[in-house]
Amino acid sequence: MVGRVLKQLQWMRTSLPAIRGLLPLILLLLVWQLVQSGPSPYFPAPSQWWAATVTLFNREHLLLAFGATTLTFLKGLALAIASGTALGMLVGVSERAARALHPLLEFMRAIPPPVTVPVASLLIGYNESMKLTVVVLSALWPILLNATSAVRQIDPLLLDVARSFRMTPIERMRRIVFPAIVPSLLIGIRIAIPLAIVVTLLVEMLTSLPGIGALMIRSQRNFQSSEVYALLVLVGLFGFVVNDLFAVVEGMIMRRWPPRA
Amino acid sequence: MSARVNWLGLATIALALALWESALRAGLAQYQNLPTPSAIARGLEEIVANGQLLVDAAHTLRSVLVGWSAAVVIGVVVGLLLGASTTLRRYSLASIEVLRPMPGIAFAPVALLLFGFSLEMELMVIVLPALWPVLINTMAAVMDVHVRLFEVGRTFRLSRSEIMRKIMLPAALPGVLVGARLSMTLALVLAVVAEMVGNPAGLGYAVVREQQAMRPELVFAYVVAIGALGMILNAVLTGAVAVLFPAASGLLREAT
Repeated sequence: MVGRVLKQLQWMRTSLPAIRGLLPLILLLLVWQLVQSGPSPYFPAPSQWWAATVTLFNREHLLLAFGATTLTFLKGLALAIASGTALGMLVGVSERAARALHPLLEFMRAIPPPVTVPVASLLIGYNESMKLTVVVLSALWPILLNATSAVRQIDPLLLDVARSFRMTPIERMRRIVFPAIVPSLLIGIRIAIPLAIVVTLLVEMLTSLPGIGALMIRSQRNFQSSEVYALLVLVGLFGFVVNDLFAVVEGMIMRRWPPRA
Repeated sequence: MSARVNWLGLATIALALALWESALRAGLAQYQNLPTPSAIARGLEEIVANGQLLVDAAHTLRSVLVGWSAAVVIGVVVGLLLGASTTLRRYSLASIEVLRPMPGIAFAPVALLLFGFSLEMELMVIVLPALWPVLINTMAAVMDVHVRLFEVGRTFRLSRSEIMRKIMLPAALPGVLVGARLSMTLALVLAVVAEMVGNPAGLGYAVVREQQAMRPELVFAYVVAIGALGMILNAVLTGAVAVLFPAASGLLREAT
């Protein structure tokens, strides 16, 4: 009996902080629900959002739309990571190449990623590969530039070691360069993730290619306010989950390739 | 950050442009809607001459500055409060962590619902996501202020507001500046997004407008203009920080 009470107390102590921190959000939703409990063109009640989610789920194949968005995002991000790392390492290895390409790359980065959507629509047209292209182009620059500058900052001693061991260039990349730039790559990826999400949703909004973005903009055009809020919550959850998952992956990678002090 | 001109880099850009131009002229690369650099330059000339660029850029610049200032003010005030009070942090940090990763563009449909195709819509889309970098960096900077500094303040019998103004604010300044710079970049991105899907004005709308009018050279001209605006804003901000807060500018350079 006493043991159970103690256990319960223990549980409360560990889970309370999280719930405590969520209080403002919970209060806001409660007050919202109490003030405006029915449908409204502007501020529908949270209970209506839930009803709208159920409707969307049954009628609109919400899962399919979510799948399409997630797939575009993941594919684009993966391609951006692979090409950004490879290009960044190549550019960074030669000081002259790094200097020669730096202004060009900086300008590419300065262009806000959403702008790539109309440009790609012009050049490629409205299709899946255009969707992927814009996501890759948005997520590429932070990864590429971080990789390049990290390669430039590798301790020359390490490269000398590689030389005295007569490593082949490929071996040198794999054993010395890549492990040294992992922490910077992770930072670049963390910057790239929100950009990739934003551009994935934007391309769906602008071109009505299937996905959550297209659903959002259609609900808004039909003045289905509770659907808009429902999708906002879902997209927020998506961002939250992606963020958390990346933190977990980051932790695992950092343990495998710890940064050199 | 050398003051030397990177001639090699500029030459690379010139070379890339020359290759692009000649490949298209020679018919080596065939893209239906890819303009040559010279056509883009003529497009830029056209929108500069008829004043369209100035009108569009002025709109975007104003939205960015208004939205960004609002985000900085709100972010600094809330960040200072959260940084100073453990209780406040305990009762709100988890909420912030839930809201922060929300992709900024997701607010666009809601903003459209609330404000229609208007400047208010654009500002809502800018302010909400641009808030977080300032808020988080300010809060973290305040939390990093050494306890002894507060003890000094108390020894001098400073009031709470004096401690806030004379100790916390200066100590938090580098964090505020880092956050402000991040959120400036974000504000421009979001302004362009808001203009594309919502408010039909400014540079973002211009790109979509010219795309639908099938004027590729103008689309590219506007893209160049937006990139230039981003670089100018960044340079002005960095320069202003170097002049106004020389002590903090080194830290800023290190952090970004």
